[in-house]
Amino acid sequence: MTPVLGRTLILLSLLAATAGATVSFAAARGRGQAAWDWSRRFAYAYAGLIVAANLLMVYALLARDFSVSYVAHVGSRSVPTWVAIVSLWSSLEGSILFWGFVLGVYVALAAWTNRARHLEYMPYAAGVWLSCAAFFSFLLAGPAQPFLTIASPADDGPGPNALLQNHVLMAVHPPFLYGGYVGFTIPFGLASAALLAGRLGQDFLRPLRTWLLVPWIFQTIAIVLGGWWAYEVLGWGGYWAWDPVENASLLPWLTATAALHSALLTERKGVLKGWTVTLVQASFLLTILGTFMTRSGVFNSVHSFTQSAIGPTILVFLAAATVFCVALLAARIDRLEAERALSPGASRDTMFLVNNLLFVLFTFTVLVGTVFPLVVEALRDKQMSVGRPYFDRMAVPIGVALLFLMGVGPALPWGRATAAQVRSALLPPAANGVLLALVGLAAGARNPWTLLTFFFGGYAAHVTLRELWLPVARRVRERGEGLARAVGEVQRQGRRRVAAYVVHAGAVVMMIAIAVSSTMGASREVQLARGESFELGHYTLRFLGAEVVREPHREATVARIEVSRAGRVLEIMEPAMNQYGNQREPIGTPAVRSAALEDLYLSVMNVDAEAQALGLHALVNPLVGWIWAAMFVMAAGSVFALVPVRRRPAEGAAAAEAVPAGAAASGS
Amino acid sequence: MRARLGFALLVGLTPALALPAAQATSAPDELPGIEDAAERLGPPGARPLSGAELEAETKRVSALLRCPVCQGLSVADSPATLAVNMRNRVRELLAAGYAEQQVLTYFEGAYGEFVRLDPPVRGVNWTLWLAPLGALLLGSLVVFWMMRAPKAPGDVALPAERPAAAADPLPDDAELAQYVLRVREQVYGWPGGVRPAKTGS
Amino acid sequence: MNRKVLGFGVALVVPLLAILVVNLGRDPQRIDSPLIGRPAPPFSLAPVGGGEPLTLDKLRGRPAVLNFWATWCAPCYEEHPVLQASARTLGPDVQFVGIVYEDQEENVRSYLRSQGSAYPNFMDAGGRAAIAYGVSGVPETYFISPDGAIVDKFSGPLDARSLADRVARTRAARSASR
Repeated sequence: MTPVLGRTLILLSLLAATAGATVSFAAARGRGQAAWDWSRRFAYAYAGLIVAANLLMVYALLARDFSVSYVAHVGSRSVPTWVAIVSLWSSLEGSILFWGFVLGVYVALAAWTNRARHLEYMPYAAGVWLSCAAFFSFLLAGPAQPFLTIASPADDGPGPNALLQNHVLMAVHPPFLYGGYVGFTIPFGLASAALLAGRLGQDFLRPLRTWLLVPWIFQTIAIVLGGWWAYEVLGWGGYWAWDPVENASLLPWLTATAALHSALLTERKGVLKGWTVTLVQASFLLTILGTFMTRSGVFNSVHSFTQSAIGPTILVFLAAATVFCVALLAARIDRLEAERALSPGASRDTMFLVNNLLFVLFTFTVLVGTVFPLVVEALRDKQMSVGRPYFDRMAVPIGVALLFLMGVGPALPWGRATAAQVRSALLPPAANGVLLALVGLAAGARNPWTLLTFFFGGYAAHVTLRELWLPVARRVRERGEGLARAVGEVQRQGRRRVAAYVVHAGAVVMMIAIAVSSTMGASREVQLARGESFELGHYTLRFLGAEVVREPHREATVARIEVSRAGRVLEIMEPAMNQYGNQREPIGTPAVRSAALEDLYLSVMNVDAEAQALGLHALVNPLVGWIWAAMFVMAAGSVFALVPVRRRPAEGAAAAEAVPAGAAASGS
Repeated sequence: MRARLGFALLVGLTPALALPAAQATSAPDELPGIEDAAERLGPPGARPLSGAELEAETKRVSALLRCPVCQGLSVADSPATLAVNMRNRVRELLAAGYAEQQVLTYFEGAYGEFVRLDPPVRGVNWTLWLAPLGALLLGSLVVFWMMRAPKAPGDVALPAERPAAAADPLPDDAELAQYVLRVREQVYGWPGGVRPAKTGS
Repeated sequence: MNRKVLGFGVALVVPLLAILVVNLGRDPQRIDSPLIGRPAPPFSLAPVGGGEPLTLDKLRGRPAVLNFWATWCAPCYEEHPVLQASARTLGPDVQFVGIVYEDQEENVRSYLRSQGSAYPNFMDAGGRAAIAYGVSGVPETYFISPDGAIVDKFSGPLDARSLADRVARTRAARSASR
């Protein structure tokens, strides 16, 4: 019964999406308000149906209904409830079903918030969204059908991949990733609409920017959470390995970040419209490329789903979408004319262009490095790898250059600047840069790139805080306002500006933390018998013993390590090695002791509870926690930018004088 | 694919290990690990390392090798047994005085170029460095060209009596323009958000 | 129609898509061995159960089949009877050698006691031989010509037919190498 109902819901969602796309394009071609009303109804219907299909699957997973093929594939009676729910996206078919869920929610929200606005563009956009939706429903109806009927269902299933059961972050990371990946469909539809309409007006930049920012926030969080998960679970002590699938999630983030910056220039000066639109299109295509990379079996990666017929289908969609984008851009880009010219010389305009150049170069380099082994395989029939050393070598200079821009860009005035202005804007923050570099040097940094990161980081931090502080200070000084009130007024009147600098502040912290954690750590590998101890950094670690703990779905061998510092016992840490029933290789669970400035990271290499012998990999990872913290700052800053500014009616005269809310807030 | 069958199979007790008579005559080599390396690589090309220096170099060099069973992780990072063995091998070779390049060649000889995480700069691999460099040059040219030639006539045609406005352009959107002026007033302290008239270029 | 955009887009996108199409269906786990056609790396291995170590030169003069395996590996379990039967039928002029990969000698001994073995098996301490031969999983089987060159490598469990074919080719490879 459940499989039949599921299949019906998916077929209906395919129908709704296809009909909706057709009606939307008809509406766009001048069929008027009635057609647009219908295209929205179809969008809501699509969303309702696909969400219902997801709920049905969750129900089947919780009910352990093994007559549903997907449940038979990933379900298990022995897993806890949260793992059963998380199983929804733990395997191929379910992950595409969940994709549909997120897309449904996005499409419905985007259609609803713009129901009475931008009528010149919206039907086109809805047409593009629903076309994408139709493709994913088609995928679910055919190659990736999760609701096949199992005639004689088994009594139990194997459960999801053990790695996914190992940590709660795995329940959180994929939804954010999908919020990012799937969400880029919305700005893609809007950008395509601008091209199809042959116009990109100031008013339409607002929804474009807002709907680009939403998936960007999700993607930012997802990328960092992915790293966090790898750090807490995989046990090698790092968070980013330049794995093809990690790269796949980074690529659209890079182009989207570039697009957010170029959209600002478009908004200010009416320039680079075609370029902004191109970046948005590219972000979407890169998400589909990433989806293909994870689901085709072409790449060998920790995160990959297994090989299937879904790969070719997604590739066809990627090809079609790419042809659509290139043709549309070539045909219409000349209609999106610039309204003004850029200011030449050492101006903020130039910095924006260089910023875009660097982000695109970054994207291109990561893309080339990721795809290159495939090229060599195809042309030379030879396997080769492009790994972390290559990506680190290429990404570090680009990252440092971006950090440099984050300092210099906002320091420069908009438009043409005089030499004196440039000097007075650029020189003072350098003192702070030098100061931070000296701090780094004193802390033991010797790697030139790390020192450079300290310098530019200090520089950018100075500029960022100055930009945040100056307006507040001016209000306090000139109007005699209290600090709280001044801050409130400044953020109310220039919320997006404030939000952007908060994001920058987070990014500066994150980049410094990445540089420090990857170059200033220490590590040791030791073999220990019970009672033996060793030193790492200022810690003394003693192996107290190991014991076996049996749980329903796994058997854990837990090593107890006493951590002390200067003779004082700080903590007993318990890294473990887990043996899951359905897997030969045991999976370690590292133990992490986080402090303000560094993590102590213990990972079991091998352990024998009978012989009380332990192979331990111990690392001191400085500032890793700051990466996660910086992510929250960036996320909070960017969410803040989305919060609409409300005018306080009580303020009479002050309100009349103040900037109209719409100009500062990002409407939708 | 790999299951834990081993333990299930311990049950039967068939003796008679069919080992043919020992064919061996020579004693095991003192450094069995180095023997095959010597055959393949020739004499060591660097000085033997030891102590902390050996550990640091082992870590650095094994970070350049891919763990063949772990999908993208380096030999330095991976906890897999094979990676641990490979790490020990790197240590042995470095301790015997083999140079970094020789160690990499040794592993490449067994596992192919696949094992090198840092692709050697030769042949088609040049593309990896030349393509981004080409993109950087091309992009820089485009940016340079854009910053030099004022493309739209609008910039030139701005009214001459408002030099400040020309230097500090405003968005067309009226609300937005007002907002920008306000920000300028607050940030730069210009009265009304307009740059005060000043001498000098 | 903006020809610049069109040309640039096509130049960027067509090769990328072509590469993805070509690679579709390829097995990313398949890694070709660079050792084929080259002299087999030397080794020194301790026999399971003790005794004199085995070195490569003792295999000279006969084709040899080197099988890397482990007791924890299911495909090895499948493959085990095939290897035993072939070792018996192919007779003494082909030397079969089992090399144990990442396993405990104790496990191996009981495994061999219960499953039987028609040829000697050796422990690979520290995985030296496995690394020298580029082993990345088990089972993997190497075919060595009488004059000590690697003729072929097979990853995964062998069946009797392909094993016999490969042995025949290894025999014929006598004069071809060196």
